[in-house]
Amino acid sequence: MNEERREFIKKTSFGFLAGIGVTSGFFLNFLMEKTDTSIWADKSIAGTIRWGMLIDMRKCIEGCQKCVDACRLAHNVPDFGHSRYQLEWLQKSPYHEVFPTSGEDFIGKERTGKLFPSLCNHCAEPPCASACPTQATFKRFDGIVALDYHRCTGCRSCMASCPYGAIGFNWSEPRPAIKALNASYPTREKGVVEKCNFCSERLLKGKLPACVEACAEKTLTFGDLNDPKSEIRLLLEKNQTMQRKPELGTLPSVFYII
Amino acid sequence: MKITTREVVFGLLILVALLALRGFWPTVKAEKIPSPTVKVTAIDSTACIAPTEYMRSHHMQLLNEWRNTGARDNRPYVTADGKKFQKSLDTCLGCHSNNTYFCISCHQYANAKPNCWNCHLSPLDKP
Repeated sequence: MNEERREFIKKTSFGFLAGIGVTSGFFLNFLMEKTDTSIWADKSIAGTIRWGMLIDMRKCIEGCQKCVDACRLAHNVPDFGHSRYQLEWLQKSPYHEVFPTSGEDFIGKERTGKLFPSLCNHCAEPPCASACPTQATFKRFDGIVALDYHRCTGCRSCMASCPYGAIGFNWSEPRPAIKALNASYPTREKGVVEKCNFCSERLLKGKLPACVEACAEKTLTFGDLNDPKSEIRLLLEKNQTMQRKPELGTLPSVFYII
Repeated sequence: MKITTREVVFGLLILVALLALRGFWPTVKAEKIPSPTVKVTAIDSTACIAPTEYMRSHHMQLLNEWRNTGARDNRPYVTADGKKFQKSLDTCLGCHSNNTYFCISCHQYANAKPNCWNCHLSPLDKP
């Protein structure tokens, strides 16, 4: 390539670019198409809220079942009365079941001897939602991992993929197994899975989850993890907290102080 | 003072750059999108969401749509006259459970067996 040709290409390409710049200046909406943003006015944008929970085990009383009972009543959780079919949205489990991989095995009975409230962690990266073939389990705009029972086919892929065992299956008709029927919430039917929904039906009415409200000791703190000024975020900043099986990268939204 | 060609070209370059930047003015001027918040929609149970005749013939289509979208889309259902309702069977039953046989009386006659009541508590099941 001779020097003249090289210069010519340089100059013309520069001139072309400058031309585009000048024309875009003259015609204001040359590159920008006007968009009507009002269509998004009512739709919440995903990721702005992330509901989370902090469980302060220093305050949790041994033998107290108030949160578990409140959850059972609020959501018509069946009690099949057999450990094999047992199904819980919220339960109290021993340390080695809740934190099997914590690496803090010998830290003293006063901290690990208790029963830990365990529930769906509403992971930021939920493996159950990825595993669900019908997208019945999905992550909502507010970080809650929700289950649309209408879509559930009962394949139990979510149960197999959940590392926390937070999902239960209705092996038989659940309605006869419900001790106290709550008329304000539906039951489930035989052949669908069910799990904690972070009381999304109560959040819609501006109420706190049933377990949080039931706990007189204020063991459970519920709030928006994306809001740096929320109570839960302030507590998370001040205390050393734990998540369940953090090494799996599911990013749980439920935190523990033990 | 003599102005060199170099200075003229430099000046023109600045002019071109400024004119090019003007193209982004609509973006700067554009209205800020308000930050979204969770809206609490109160259940308005004072009126039905559509005329009785329409509801008689089309309630299944409407309920089917609510069932399919209700869990995912948090936006309320907006009626033709602008009223907002939460997409929930409880929105209907808020009024209609006054009559215990409201659903079943027609369904039995038409031999329609919707599977709503497998999970949802029908007015008959409510204690």
